[in-house]
Amino acid sequence: MKSRATATALKSAVRDAPMRSAVAGRGFASACPPAKRINVEDVNDFRRTRGDLVFSVFMVCVALFFLAFFFSQTGWEDRKLPANMARYWMDQFGVTAPEGRLSRLGRIIKQGWFAPLVCICILVPAALWNLRGAWRAQMWRTRFKQPTAVGHEVLQWLRALEFVAWFVAYTLLVPVLGYLVATLILGTALPWRLGYRGLRWFSICFAASFAIVLVFRSGLQIRTPVNIWLYDQLPQGLETFMQVWF
Amino acid sequence: MEALWAGIDNLASWPVLAAILIGSVGGLAIGAVPGIGPAIAIAILLPATVFLDDLVSLVLLLGVYGSSMYGGAIPAILINTPGTPVNALTTYDGYAMTRRGEAARALSLAYAASFFGGCFSIILGLSALMLFGPYLRDLGALFGQRDIFMAAALGAVLLVAAHRKTMGIAALLFGLGFLIAIVGRQTTRQIDRYTFDIEYLYPGFNLIVVIVGIFAISQALFLLTGKDADPPHARLKGGLLRGFGELNRFKPVAFISAGYGTIMGIIPGVGEFVAQFFSYSTARAMSREPGKFGRGAPDGLIASEASNNAVPAAAMVPLLALGVPGEALTAMMMVVFFDAGIKPGPDIFDNNPDFLFSLFFALLIINVLVVMTLLISTRHIARIIYIPTRLLGAFILILAFVGVFSIRNSFTDCMFAAGFGFLGFILRRLDWPLVPIVLGLVLGSIMIEKLTAGSGQIKTVVDLVNRPVSGTLFVVILIVIGVTVFTSLRTRRFEH
Repeated sequence: MKSRATATALKSAVRDAPMRSAVAGRGFASACPPAKRINVEDVNDFRRTRGDLVFSVFMVCVALFFLAFFFSQTGWEDRKLPANMARYWMDQFGVTAPEGRLSRLGRIIKQGWFAPLVCICILVPAALWNLRGAWRAQMWRTRFKQPTAVGHEVLQWLRALEFVAWFVAYTLLVPVLGYLVATLILGTALPWRLGYRGLRWFSICFAASFAIVLVFRSGLQIRTPVNIWLYDQLPQGLETFMQVWF
Repeated sequence: MEALWAGIDNLASWPVLAAILIGSVGGLAIGAVPGIGPAIAIAILLPATVFLDDLVSLVLLLGVYGSSMYGGAIPAILINTPGTPVNALTTYDGYAMTRRGEAARALSLAYAASFFGGCFSIILGLSALMLFGPYLRDLGALFGQRDIFMAAALGAVLLVAAHRKTMGIAALLFGLGFLIAIVGRQTTRQIDRYTFDIEYLYPGFNLIVVIVGIFAISQALFLLTGKDADPPHARLKGGLLRGFGELNRFKPVAFISAGYGTIMGIIPGVGEFVAQFFSYSTARAMSREPGKFGRGAPDGLIASEASNNAVPAAAMVPLLALGVPGEALTAMMMVVFFDAGIKPGPDIFDNNPDFLFSLFFALLIINVLVVMTLLISTRHIARIIYIPTRLLGAFILILAFVGVFSIRNSFTDCMFAAGFGFLGFILRRLDWPLVPIVLGLVLGSIMIEKLTAGSGQIKTVVDLVNRPVSGTLFVVILIVIGVTVFTSLRTRRFEH
């Protein structure tokens, strides 16, 4: 009995031991990072991070905002509903026998406010339920002395706004300088800002930006702004050429 | 049979063949870059499809969809970073094999399993079309407005249920997507919904603006604010063909995984993750050496790759048969259908059967083409892994502008896309799922459209469920909700 138990223990020890290279004969401390062992459930894993509570509160505010405006922004004022709604629903579900002709449910469904009502019925409870989860996660973090400050996370969100500003600036630059020039500027300036500097990176980025313009504007003839300030300053022939191809 | 030949004939044109080639090779490259999934590529390509023929557009997007997961396996195996999110499980065994010095074997097995999974579901789909085609033509009569409404509702319920640990968030984001979809002026009754008298909002949000913002711009911001990964150098020695022979040893695992992928692909709202989860668990249960799973088990790798590559063809089924997309990528493809004036749904079997054959044959060609490309040029494609991700972020931002602006020449669209991008960025930072927003947008509008169209026949609540199909779907919805609530309660009790 004992030897059988030893054999099982040995077997499991062999099974759990780090695997060794079959090809080169060199061993690794671990065949793959420990955190990635076998737990297939990890694919669905989710942990609330810092900032989750802040965003959950924001989402509740969004849901309540739409709830507050439901009555004025969805055609609710012009609703056509049966006089006694409680009785109507009881009739609908057969709890009570309808007196006279039962108003068609379809008439209610096709009114403008019905779809927003369905949305609100999903959005508000889900936002509150999510806030509850976020709050509990925050309490858990506090209880077990995990970092709870959200400053770092919010800072990351604000950092992204810089690149949103780049995008907006690019959007505003296109009608002034044209798609080609604006793309070449953004395609080289943004990588420079990111730290890809020097002639090699500049050439790569310049070529890539030019290729994008060639493929999308010259090749696929995708619509871009036509009244370009810079093109208006060019001689007639060149202006037409630039407008057609770039 | 006529439809079959017409379907093949549709593909025999230069623009279609070029779209297949560009889509497949492009999808491979996109999949191989960690951090850029097919969703971003499709989001950026969507506006370009407006200028292309409908079949060319769809085949191009299908090429990206069908091939990206092949490409995603390369970084998953070589550097332990999944190229696309669905390749996450591939890292478990693929990277472990690489560390054992078996990178070529792992890649080869991944290609073979992916090819098997892809072809399995395509051939199944084609066979079903050929065998049941004449009967499927009557499907239009069987599916009314209320039935499709119920199918979309089932998709929504399954979507939430599939997000096991984030059901509240999934429901919240689905609701948000739904709300974005209803903003605008209701055409029949001229009622403004959440427009706040802003003229821009009268026609409602453009689907492409939201998609490009949520998927492409958010990912660009995510990459730009992050750090460049410094992937380890991966060596690749040995041939890539031997996996095709080795797959023979793991036939049961390959068949079961491809089967799971096909079934889960057909069910709306479920998709690759659940398919992989079931396949991997089953393969581990079937294995004589379950302890090796996660440490370089070839059957684990096969289970992961065969199941996720079986999904694209299967995911086309609910889209084409019911007009109900099951996941984000097919939801994006709906836009092409809208633009082309083709209404996916039961009537498609009657009106455009050749179109269906064309799509499935195109997928088959894509799979063959992708495997051939990989066998020849894996070493070159593997270099894409080392392109700095922040640089890619900058160029995604540039491409996003073209995508948004070209829809209707509107700078306001670009501003809103930037806003949605920022929202998507925060969601990514918090690890919240993005897919429910897009499905909320698409499924929500389908649900309301079908319900309103069928309202003439709805006198009482019972009329919603008194048809054979809608009644059955309603029962399935109740079962899904019941099972989800039961398992959630049981898990919670177990955890406490």
